Amino acid sequence: MPANLVDNQQILAKRILAIDDEEANVLLLKNVLEREGYKDIHCITDPEKALDAYITLSPDLVLLDLMMPKIDGFQLLEAFSRHDKSDEFRPVLVLTADTTLQTRRRALALGAKDFVSKPFDVIEVALRISNLLETRILYERLKHV
Amino acid sequence: MTVSKPIRPITGYWADRPLAFKGLVVIALPLAILFGALISLYLASNAETRAEDDVRRAFAIQRDTYQVHALLAEAAAGARGYVLTGQARFLEPYRKAEAELPVTMARLDAEIRDAEVRQRFETIRRATTQKREGLKRIVALAGAPAVRARNADALEAALISNKIVLDGMRREIENIQRRERVLLDQRQAKVDQVRNSFLVLTAISAIVGLLGSLAAVYLFSTGIVRRVRILEDNAELLARGDALTAMPDDADEIGTLGQRMHRASALLRAREQALRESEERFRLVIEGVQDYGIFALSIDGIVASWNLGAERIKGWKAEEILGQHFSRFYPDETREFLPAEMLARARNDGAAEDEGWRVRKDGTSFWANVVITALYDDSGALRGFAKVTRDMTERRRSVEALTAAREEAVAANLAKSEFLSRTSHELRTPMSAILGFGQLLELDDDELSPRHRESVHQIMKASRHLLSLINDLLDISSIEAGGTDLSIDDIDMSELLEEVHALVSPIVSAAGLRFILNLPAKGTMAAADRRRVTQVILNLVANAAKYNRTGTMVELTCQQDENLVRVSVTDDGEGIDANDVPRLFTPFDRLGQQTRAKVEGTGLGLALSKRLVESMDGQIGFEQRQKGACFWFTIKRADASRQSTARPTN
Repeated sequence: MPANLVDNQQILAKRILAIDDEEANVLLLKNVLEREGYKDIHCITDPEKALDAYITLSPDLVLLDLMMPKIDGFQLLEAFSRHDKSDEFRPVLVLTADTTLQTRRRALALGAKDFVSKPFDVIEVALRISNLLETRILYERLKHV
Repeated sequence: MTVSKPIRPITGYWADRPLAFKGLVVIALPLAILFGALISLYLASNAETRAEDDVRRAFAIQRDTYQVHALLAEAAAGARGYVLTGQARFLEPYRKAEAELPVTMARLDAEIRDAEVRQRFETIRRATTQKREGLKRIVALAGAPAVRARNADALEAALISNKIVLDGMRREIENIQRRERVLLDQRQAKVDQVRNSFLVLTAISAIVGLLGSLAAVYLFSTGIVRRVRILEDNAELLARGDALTAMPDDADEIGTLGQRMHRASALLRAREQALRESEERFRLVIEGVQDYGIFALSIDGIVASWNLGAERIKGWKAEEILGQHFSRFYPDETREFLPAEMLARARNDGAAEDEGWRVRKDGTSFWANVVITALYDDSGALRGFAKVTRDMTERRRSVEALTAAREEAVAANLAKSEFLSRTSHELRTPMSAILGFGQLLELDDDELSPRHRESVHQIMKASRHLLSLINDLLDISSIEAGGTDLSIDDIDMSELLEEVHALVSPIVSAAGLRFILNLPAKGTMAAADRRRVTQVILNLVANAAKYNRTGTMVELTCQQDENLVRVSVTDDGEGIDANDVPRLFTPFDRLGQQTRAKVEGTGLGLALSKRLVESMDGQIGFEQRQKGACFWFTIKRADASRQSTARPTN
């Protein structure tokens, strides 16, 4: 069980960046995460500031909406992977209301680590987030062995 | 053709004889004349010989008569000498006469022809016999001197009578001589006459032979050479295709040849006439064609003919364009190179086709389809080109319109997809917030008052219903927009059914029903979209569970036949009213909604299922059971997807 490998507090201490142009959605994610016990939560509603935030905050996990004005989630995914070093595992969980197959395939192909369609089940999203963070922690650990 | 000559019956007969006959006549005629001349010559010379014979015989008769006379005279003189002398040597002439006279007489007898001479000769013969007997007696009487003396008188008498006989004979001989002289003169005259007539005959023969030859040559030349010359000229005329010179229709070989030549000429001219007429017809047809510009170009591209269609399409009249270069039809941009290129292509490949803008006389443009075909003569030499031009402006316009319409449709389709995607996003995003926050409230409902808790519950129920409505609507719309997500794969149906079974078992159990799963034969493969098949089965099973409130079970069955995989969902509930069956698959038509008010549903499930199944070329249907209902659908078998799509009877 993951719980045996990684301490829950360690997961909850990780920095999460949520990017969505809808205030309500960002707020929902923040509420869900706070309810789980996460402490380091950052929210961005202006996609144009997303890359800067990504670089300056260097989050452990990104929650990303795809359909946004001006800069959409696909462009951000490309920008993130251009910026990251190749040996880094910084998971992006895509949350989108567009459930078409093409969209899902494209997002995953651009480096998204998981995909949840909106509206989502709060518990499911929370579980996926903790899973991804746990994977990141284990990966970091392996890198430093 | 018949050339009547004034003396046709005669010349005609000659003209009608075969050439062999004519040749024979031409050679035989002089020969026959020559032969006749030879015969006449022979006859003439025969007559002359006979005449000369007569003359010779006359001389011989004269000579012999003289000889007879001489022999007898000498014998008489001898006899007299013997009588006088008694010497035997005087008997010599007598003996000679006795020996020679019969011979001479016989010769005379043989040679005498003339009747008068014969008569006198007979007198002479008698006189000779008499004389010889007289001489014989004289000689006998004067044998011995004694005897001679005794017989002197008798002797004298014998001598006298003998002298009389001889005189008589001498007269006769003179008569014969005279007669023979007359005959000789006659014969001499006859010989001269014969000789003269022979000369005349020879002259005549020569003249006739010459004339005959001339006649034969004339006939030959008129009958053959002249006509052969006409034939020669006619052959030349025939070759030129002109009318032939008339020829007598003689029945010989040349005449027949001439007639055949005339017939051939007539046939040729008839054929030529027919050809000219056909060419004329063809020309009229070509000239009359209105929809195609058809015209001829010289090797250099000069317009050599023009038709109505060309006039109609391009605007030039024939007299305005004939003799001009066809590059006039091309717009400035292509005039420099395209006409030359087209001719070169036609020359190399036999034909060249092109489609593009051309100019009319008035300067307006039209879209033309042009085919240039190289024309060769019998010897294979290039003679020019045929150019067929069609005005395709209208068609091009309609093609353009069609293309535009198609592009519009594609754009509209894209717009629709874009719209759906956007709508999906726009509708779901607020739903996401509503459901998300609602769920958070539900999760922490111990902090809520019972009233609020119930409110949150109602909000969540309505929101979920709204979400499923939105989902179904978007699904239907997206399928109708063109099945954007359809991906047909080979699906193992047993595997799929087990997955679905796991997914829907909770729903069926929650409804208090047994879930019976009848898996298909192992290896049953369908060619379908996995997600859609799953969605349809989920829909049908959820429906069965939802509406079966009096029964005990839901049964999921899958079978295959030759071409199809059939999935059916059966329940043992109330079934469906026969009146409602036709409207089963209509959107938002929730059957007997008022009586089933407690059942939750969007009314889109079956309509969506129908579209999903049909998007995979399948069929969906319903069968009433004795107790309960059976919904089924078919999809293609993977290994049968390329076979005929036979439908099951139901």
